[in-house]
Amino acid sequence: MSTFDEILPMLTKIFQPFQEDVTKMKAILVNRDLNGRVRLIVDEKWENNEHQQVVLDNIARQIHEGIGFHAYPAAQAVLFEPDIDDFLKRESCFLLEGISDVFVIDRLAVEGNWSRISRLTSSVSRTVFFSIKGGVGRSTALAATAWALAEQGKKVLVLDLDLESPGLSSALLPEDRRPFYGITDWLVEDLVNNGAVVFENMVATSALSHNGEILVVPAHGANPGEYIAKLGRVWMPRLDTEGKRESWSDRLRRLLDDLEGRWQPDVTLIDSRAGIDEVASACITELSASTILLFAIDGDQTWSGYRVLFQHWRKTGVVRDIRERLQIVGAMIPEIGTEEYVEGLLERAWDLFSEELYDEVPAGKVSGDESVWSYDQFDGSAPHYPWVVKWHRSFAVLKSIHGRLKDIDNEMVRAIFGPLIDGMALSIETDGGTK
Amino acid sequence: MNPDFLDAHERHWEDAELLKDGNRLANADHLFGISAECGLKCLMIQFGMPMDTDKPKDRQDRIHVNKIWIRFEAYRSGHLQGINYALSLPDPFMDWDVNQRYARRDDFDISRLASHRAGAEAVLNLIKKAKLAGLL
Repeated sequence: MSTFDEILPMLTKIFQPFQEDVTKMKAILVNRDLNGRVRLIVDEKWENNEHQQVVLDNIARQIHEGIGFHAYPAAQAVLFEPDIDDFLKRESCFLLEGISDVFVIDRLAVEGNWSRISRLTSSVSRTVFFSIKGGVGRSTALAATAWALAEQGKKVLVLDLDLESPGLSSALLPEDRRPFYGITDWLVEDLVNNGAVVFENMVATSALSHNGEILVVPAHGANPGEYIAKLGRVWMPRLDTEGKRESWSDRLRRLLDDLEGRWQPDVTLIDSRAGIDEVASACITELSASTILLFAIDGDQTWSGYRVLFQHWRKTGVVRDIRERLQIVGAMIPEIGTEEYVEGLLERAWDLFSEELYDEVPAGKVSGDESVWSYDQFDGSAPHYPWVVKWHRSFAVLKSIHGRLKDIDNEMVRAIFGPLIDGMALSIETDGGTK
Repeated sequence: MNPDFLDAHERHWEDAELLKDGNRLANADHLFGISAECGLKCLMIQFGMPMDTDKPKDRQDRIHVNKIWIRFEAYRSGHLQGINYALSLPDPFMDWDVNQRYARRDDFDISRLASHRAGAEAVLNLIKKAKLAGLL
């Protein structure tokens, strides 16, 4: 009996002989529901058309035979909509591979679907720090980057969105400077229109900066309070008095817009949750971040995780909207065998980007051509070319970072985080928030 | 016969529409109310309303549409998926009563019918959404 992954290839096979009829009825939608069962949605003008009815019955029967438990009985397999084009406009969908005019709508039990890529609308440069795997020094690197950018005179806003494992704020703020509230408090209060009460008391200034300013928005306040009870509610969408729905990620973006409006930073750095996670989905795809740093250590878990994401973006047709925002960061580069390790990392990153993201370079063109988005393997400006962060024992534990940064000299930070800091400074300069 | 709230919701809506088009306002009004009741009960089961074989287990849930709007809200707000099924209107059935089936036809006018039809249609749209999500 077939399983989930066979649904779409099987549908392609079933629809192929009916392409002409499908084009006549366009569009046909494949609705894959919360349980992973499939129904078709068709414009109701075809409901009483004898020929198309036969075609639809035929398709529905074949779907039932082909994907078994993932289908509805043929008699319940087709739903009709009064205006299919209007319906299509309201839904997030992608083309069924190999077939014209058939779109797939996926209903997920979570809000984040990794393919609603928000446009770059912010006037402030936003960078997301993401890693497919936890424990690779991502938050530490963010703290060091914030410190270095502030040393260059920048006003840096830092958000700890690793809500399920918060820690960044302890790296940048000693306990007695932490604000009363955090992001979690705002997300919960906003549900009952009470966000204003926490808004002014969820940001604290780090004492680490001398030339610029580091404004820290922690996941929770000085006292976490009933953190688990609050965390379990942050994902809630909000309904206004007219019943209009705002997803939790839209609420988060509204918060970010308001924080930037209130504090006027030059740059915003966002620490995302690791892994293919609900918060990470929002951070990467829905917060209008112009730069998305993908932390990588050289291992199968890293590359197969990023490959899953890249393939999803290709399948859902959004890869062009997001690929230019990505940048690999080589994390925890070992002290011994450094050169060899970086070479391996570069090779694996190149394999991944060239197979999944870069355009194929047609004969007669070169990879630098403007119409072709592709880079050479050894091009230092390429997104696959890792900005390296070295492993260093004094930065290995986030808890000690505040102490380290308090006393540390610029040279030391540069020796460990130099390419990341330079890369960030350049990207802020060039994109200015609207890359 | 055991209840099938989904089928009952649909057939009462269809018949109410036929009666409305035939200017049979009184019985159309009655059926719009029953249709909305059945649709909401159908969703309440999905949101956790306990059932005996032929009726809701809890006496408080054995009610008609004029009392069900608020009861539906209680089940909806306790269920993860419930957020997507908020009713788009304030309760339009407060002036509807199942005993109005004994009333005179002259007591039913078009504006009364329009508000009850809008209520039943709001429920119809929620049912449609639940089908797409695979809840029903």
